[in-house]
Amino acid sequence: MSALLDHTLALCHAAREAGLPVTQARTLDACRALASIDCANRDDYRVALRTNLVASREDEIVFERVFARHFGQWTDEHDGGAILARSELLRGELDAGRSNEGHRDMLTEADTFGAEEVARRANLAARWDPDAPPLAQVIRELARRLATRPSRRVAPDRRGARVDLRRSIRRNVRHGLDLLELARVARKTRKTRIVMLCDVSGSMDAFNPFLLQLMFGLQQALTASRTLVFSTRVSEITAALRRRTVAETLRDIGQRVRHWSGGTDIGAALGELNRGVLREGSSRATVLVVISDGYDNGDTARIAAELEVAKRQVRTLVWINPMFGASTFKVRAAGMKAALPYIDHFLPAFNGRALHQLVKGLRAV
Amino acid sequence: MTQAPAWQHPFSRVEDVATTFAAHDYVADRALCLTTKLAFDLGKPILLEGEAGVGKTEVAKVLASALDTPLIRLQCYEGLDASSTLYEWNYARQILEIRLAESDAARRAGLDTALFGPEFLFERPLLKAIRHPGPRPAVLLIDEVDRADEEFEAFLLEILSDFQITVPELGTFHAVQRPCVILTSNRTRELNDALKRRCLYLWIDYPTPDKEREILARRVPGLDARLADNVARVMQALRSVDFYKRPGVAEALDWARALLELDVRELAPATVLDTAGVVLKYRDDVERLGRLDLEALLDGRAVEK
Repeated sequence: MSALLDHTLALCHAAREAGLPVTQARTLDACRALASIDCANRDDYRVALRTNLVASREDEIVFERVFARHFGQWTDEHDGGAILARSELLRGELDAGRSNEGHRDMLTEADTFGAEEVARRANLAARWDPDAPPLAQVIRELARRLATRPSRRVAPDRRGARVDLRRSIRRNVRHGLDLLELARVARKTRKTRIVMLCDVSGSMDAFNPFLLQLMFGLQQALTASRTLVFSTRVSEITAALRRRTVAETLRDIGQRVRHWSGGTDIGAALGELNRGVLREGSSRATVLVVISDGYDNGDTARIAAELEVAKRQVRTLVWINPMFGASTFKVRAAGMKAALPYIDHFLPAFNGRALHQLVKGLRAV
Repeated sequence: MTQAPAWQHPFSRVEDVATTFAAHDYVADRALCLTTKLAFDLGKPILLEGEAGVGKTEVAKVLASALDTPLIRLQCYEGLDASSTLYEWNYARQILEIRLAESDAARRAGLDTALFGPEFLFERPLLKAIRHPGPRPAVLLIDEVDRADEEFEAFLLEILSDFQITVPELGTFHAVQRPCVILTSNRTRELNDALKRRCLYLWIDYPTPDKEREILARRVPGLDARLADNVARVMQALRSVDFYKRPGVAEALDWARALLELDVRELAPATVLDTAGVVLKYRDDVERLGRLDLEALLDGRAVEK
């Protein structure tokens, strides 16, 4: 029994090391579970631990790996190697020399503008500043603009339209037998759900610090929103962005997203969104924000098809294009052209100043 | 507080659970049986996640019928609140009581407290499950909990960890016999960690072809073995296609029943197209099916024409 307990504790420890939410209570539950199973059966043992230690499908997969490795059935070549954060992401260092038209537009502009202009736009090329995120205020404003729709929940309200019988009876029984005084309720306002789909392919590298700030800021301001990043694949980073500190967030994103700076397949990413996140909840309450330059290696026709589906599932479709702000910007990207007919708001945002513009634009959302 | 004598659940071995599921024509794999047994041993709720139509809800129905206890079902939706999940006062009776008290001094004296007595309380699913007198526990199914909002999850926490409900006017109700709780989620959003921590977690995947064939055989009596085989193979192939909504086991069963009803002996491409609406529920998906090579599909391969 004690050997079994050793194994179990070691597995719990390994699972925690692997990033599973193994709390003390869960470990205890896992140990308690041992009493009611046949521990000689390794599959039963595995399932009993797994059901107690994991909280999602992804966790299950991680646990299987931990378990197999513990019993020496896993070789590291299956593992795809350790997941390393991209150093660019963590340090915020940028490769400014990319030969991409859009970036050149913007970088040249930064050169020709006066020093003050450059400084204001520099936050784009600067690394993440942990002390003073310069976008905090404008993001709060953005969140506020997006933040109203009637909830299905009600709260006491003297001028509310509905009578709250429970409170009315409670109140009136105290000083009489007739319902003299009616308590009323009104529907609460709740925050609109934003689903943000952000392009992190190679062509967007120059905007990474700004994008990270925007995603982090919006997620913190509107907790119900969801954030996904895509290049050739899609990863949801909502949970990572909910972490308290930027450092933790960046580390977490680095661990989750292995396709950062990859190619671009906008159509496939939208497709995944259509089948997943956008299905949830009421379509009237969702604002879809796509942040991408529209440079795409995928199938352009698919972008149009998927956007048409997405359009039916959301209230408003906002496309933020970081290239849009540059003065010589024209819609050159084929993917962007395909997408234009479906977009409700096509907005510029590649730095804090442009984001102010965006916030003004959102008044109408 | 009345604590009923401890009820001994009938599953002393994992095989007992398997037998029970089998007796109710539910094809369960070992992981599900083991998790069910642990849920009873440890007194924890089970959180079942999986795509729509893989039989999550059915687990609760089978357990309720196996234990011969009521199945108390709470279907979740956005805006679900205390008055539709816990209890509601019977306002009509309360107002009637007030009227009666006007002509009856004796009634009037204790009106304040009497109005909020147990006889004026409507039990909603959660309270009903907690107050279920036993001796066998009720099965409480909290279905599609991902459809409810976060506030509701927070509110489930007290109930799922302490199995008690507080009604301010009456006091706290403790579970007479802890209900067996099954939560299901289609995973349209992540649930709160605090809620997950209180549950045993199990992901239910689409069945393997063999398992699906067995499910079809058990659930659709009269289905020809060869047709069942055909259906299972086509379903497997269809699930490999990137549809908006991949068909689940529920669709496979519907389809098999439809084919049986139409007196189809063997699947042909035309039959697949004609009955596509049973399996695929999006226009785009049906169109996509039309673009597939149907002969290959009947062989269990999904390739575009």
